Amino acid sequence: MTTSRETPASVGELCAILRRCDGDGTKVTVVGGNTLRGMGFPPTGEELVLETSALKRIVSYSSADLTVAVQGGCTLKSLASRLKRDGQFVPFDAPKPGEATVGGTLAAGWLGPRRHRYGRPRDLIVGSSIVLADGTLAHAGGMVVKNVAGYDMSRLYVGSFGTLGVLVQANLKTIPLAQAARAFLAPLPEGTRSRAFAQVRTLAVEPSAALWIDGFEKEVPGEPGAEGRLFILLESSEALLERATRDLRSAIGRAGVPETRIIDARARDMLDGIIDAYISTLADRSVTYRVASPPDRSEACALGARDLVRRFALDADTIADIMNGDVVVRASRLETRDLSLKLQVLDDALHQAQPRARIIAGDHPSRGAFNVWGNDPPAIGRMRALKARFDPNAVLNPNRFIGGI
Amino acid sequence: MNASLAQRLADAVGPENVKTAPEDLAVYSFDAYSEGKLPAAVVIPSGTREVSAVVKIARELGEPVIARGAGTGLCGGAISVDGGGVVISFARMHRLLELDTANRRARVQPGLVNLQLSQQVASSRLFYAPDPASQRSSTIGGNIATNAGGPHCLSYGTTVNHVLALEVVDENGDVFTTDVDDAGYDLTAVLVGSEGTLGVVTSAWVRLLRSPESTRVWLAAFADIESASAAVSAIIGAGIIPTALEMMDAVIVKAVEAAFHAGYPTDAAAVLLIENAGFEDEMDAYEAALREITRKEGSLSWRAARTAAERDALWAGRKGAVGALGRVAPNYYTQDVTVPRSVLPKALRAVEVAASENDLVVGNVFHAGDGNLHPLLVYDKRDRRQVGAVLSTGDAILRAAIELGGTISGEHGIGYEKREAMTRVYSTEDLATMARVRDVFDPR
Ligand SMILES: Cc1cc2nc3c(=O)[nH]c(=O)nc-3n(C[C@H](O)[C@H](O)[C@H](O)COP(=O)(O)OP(=O)(O)OC[C@H]3O[C@@H](n4cnc5c(N)ncnc54)[C@H](O)[C@@H]3O)c2cc1C
Repeated sequence: MTTSRETPASVGELCAILRRCDGDGTKVTVVGGNTLRGMGFPPTGEELVLETSALKRIVSYSSADLTVAVQGGCTLKSLASRLKRDGQFVPFDAPKPGEATVGGTLAAGWLGPRRHRYGRPRDLIVGSSIVLADGTLAHAGGMVVKNVAGYDMSRLYVGSFGTLGVLVQANLKTIPLAQAARAFLAPLPEGTRSRAFAQVRTLAVEPSAALWIDGFEKEVPGEPGAEGRLFILLESSEALLERATRDLRSAIGRAGVPETRIIDARARDMLDGIIDAYISTLADRSVTYRVASPPDRSEACALGARDLVRRFALDADTIADIMNGDVVVRASRLETRDLSLKLQVLDDALHQAQPRARIIAGDHPSRGAFNVWGNDPPAIGRMRALKARFDPNAVLNPNRFIGGI
Repeated sequence: MNASLAQRLADAVGPENVKTAPEDLAVYSFDAYSEGKLPAAVVIPSGTREVSAVVKIARELGEPVIARGAGTGLCGGAISVDGGGVVISFARMHRLLELDTANRRARVQPGLVNLQLSQQVASSRLFYAPDPASQRSSTIGGNIATNAGGPHCLSYGTTVNHVLALEVVDENGDVFTTDVDDAGYDLTAVLVGSEGTLGVVTSAWVRLLRSPESTRVWLAAFADIESASAAVSAIIGAGIIPTALEMMDAVIVKAVEAAFHAGYPTDAAAVLLIENAGFEDEMDAYEAALREITRKEGSLSWRAARTAAERDALWAGRKGAVGALGRVAPNYYTQDVTVPRSVLPKALRAVEVAASENDLVVGNVFHAGDGNLHPLLVYDKRDRRQVGAVLSTGDAILRAAIELGGTISGEHGIGYEKREAMTRVYSTEDLATMARVRDVFDPR
């Protein structure tokens, strides 16, 4: 089978390509920046790779309205630099913003560590244009922030993994950047982790991001303590920053953590660096899972996942999102002997404990045999019906999503 | 009336929870928008299982199901338009089922009244953010079905941002659940705001927020509606997003003062009610910035509520505004459109022109920070000319909103009234795409 590649230069061209594929049954893999290629089942039997990278325009930006319309192939970074000039941003918080595209990030349903504060990407989308499998171009929503005209199609496309259509334009809410940003990095000595988790969760001025990092020593700067590291990002008005800093330092002090490094320059870039670690792989020798848990169980969830990985004689690198509760754990081994087998057993065991664990990174060749999305959700029947109604010939990203979609 | 329908419903939920007498049904034949016809029956189930049984019976006998919360809806969704059908009332399903304070969430039944949810969690220093002006009576189920908004949705987002998981009874009477953390499609997002067309919500996990440490409320008065709306655009344009930013014009201010003595300046052409919730440390700087902007836009006066009682009084005026107008006007009709915030002045001018061309009085009270207008057209429904004038003014406002890049409903919904108008903002393809979703949930 031969695979061809197309990079349509216009939405019209993209429509024509899909119309043709739908007609002759060509299977299409949709690709943005390819940064999240470790998510989902690997493409099998793809016949056309459809790249959105040429559709990268910022269609309209009205900073006074706090909205931006951007094409799906625009990278997160180029969008961010434009918005930054007007003191605004869209909190995607996705890895590799220089390559990742708006469309790909939304389609993958990427969830970042600041969402408890700024909302999930699905809560930032106010309108969309999508090309359906049959080449139809459909719009939803608009450029206003409150809209109940019709079903909320745009939100439905977020997280649909390119299986309902190709997102060619997203209209997004933008958010004014907080005046001040300050990062804190603290090594956690023996016996401080649990208290640190608890203290951070009770702060009056909530951090924008609070992560516990265990491992990922190459990827994340700073010396780890016996119980890993704590990374915190505060974002606030200038007037609030001093108090927020004081409160945070004394809370961490109460947890028994002696030293905290404060980083003011490029504090937000530091968060970006850690987010890159979420999907950093050891080529074909690692698999990374994301597990959702309620915030008050994030520590237990992280330790559970980490210990499970270690039980199968694999190395574990872990990040727990203290504010949102989700946990990222990377299982790896430099020694490749029996690695497939170990990872397979881990995959089973992890899903016993965490039915919703999903893979977000890892090029391991047997990934396709794993429970990539976690167990089927209760409404899987309706999801399959939706797919059948949107893409009856299963042209778009076939078999890459959950439950055979 | 179909005897076997009544009997079977009575068997399912108990005879005392089924109403079929015309005088009992009449209460359920209208909502805040319009009057429909009598349904075949009203049932008041006690839980999910009974809802499921009712839907199955209705389906077998070919009766449509109409979910009904408090009936404050403004889109005619909770009434029987053509007569017949089984209305499911959630009056008995009004409990807070679980409160998870550590993770700031609650599982609730659909009949729980919006304000009661916030009241019931207040002692845990939590609150439920979406606050439609109807929050004293409207239900969480109705709010979910309409994706209700409210003054505080400016900073917190509308209902859809606050729904974490749903339990739904589908068209066959089968129960299914959705969760925003489930893998696969975000069905929660489609169900919220679907106006009851995709299923009946029988319980929901909703997000709660921490009560703010400090809240301040201010009132800025303006000599004309243009400068007030320019101030709104300027505030948002400066990157300041207050917790709430509401506007009221002279017609509304006078009605509110007559009804509540809220302390609004009756000589102003428009007032902005601004709230910020946050931390004491930053409030003075915040107030200074807002004050400076409103001054530049020509405000006449600036008032800060000094006590909780003053704050409540200012808010009581806003929340009671529509009711207050109702006292002085025989009838009123609320239009609901959203425009980009930078064109608010233009949009308000268009409203003014449309009303005066049709010789109508219009009152404006709305979610200015979101660009969500609610022009209230005052009329007397016994006067045929005025009824016609309301229809053409409403339509002119819709047209103006669309021309300004806006939409035909910000929060009240489409229902029957705006079905036709959907074609003005969406193409045939756009609507056909939505129909694909509908097909999956309700193939009939
Ligand atoms: C004075 C006044 C002020 C208002 N202010 C606002 C405002 O600020 N913001 C705003 O958004 N709206 C506002 N509204 C409109 C209305 O209050 C909202 O739409 C509210 O969400 C309706 O809730 P309800 O319980 O009254 O629902 P109902 O009117 O009973 O029903 C509304 C719709 O929801 C469906 N429904 C109800 N329960 C369920 C369920 N369990 N499952 C599935 N579908 C269901 C019904 O079928 C119907 O389509 C206002 C109305 C009035 C009269």
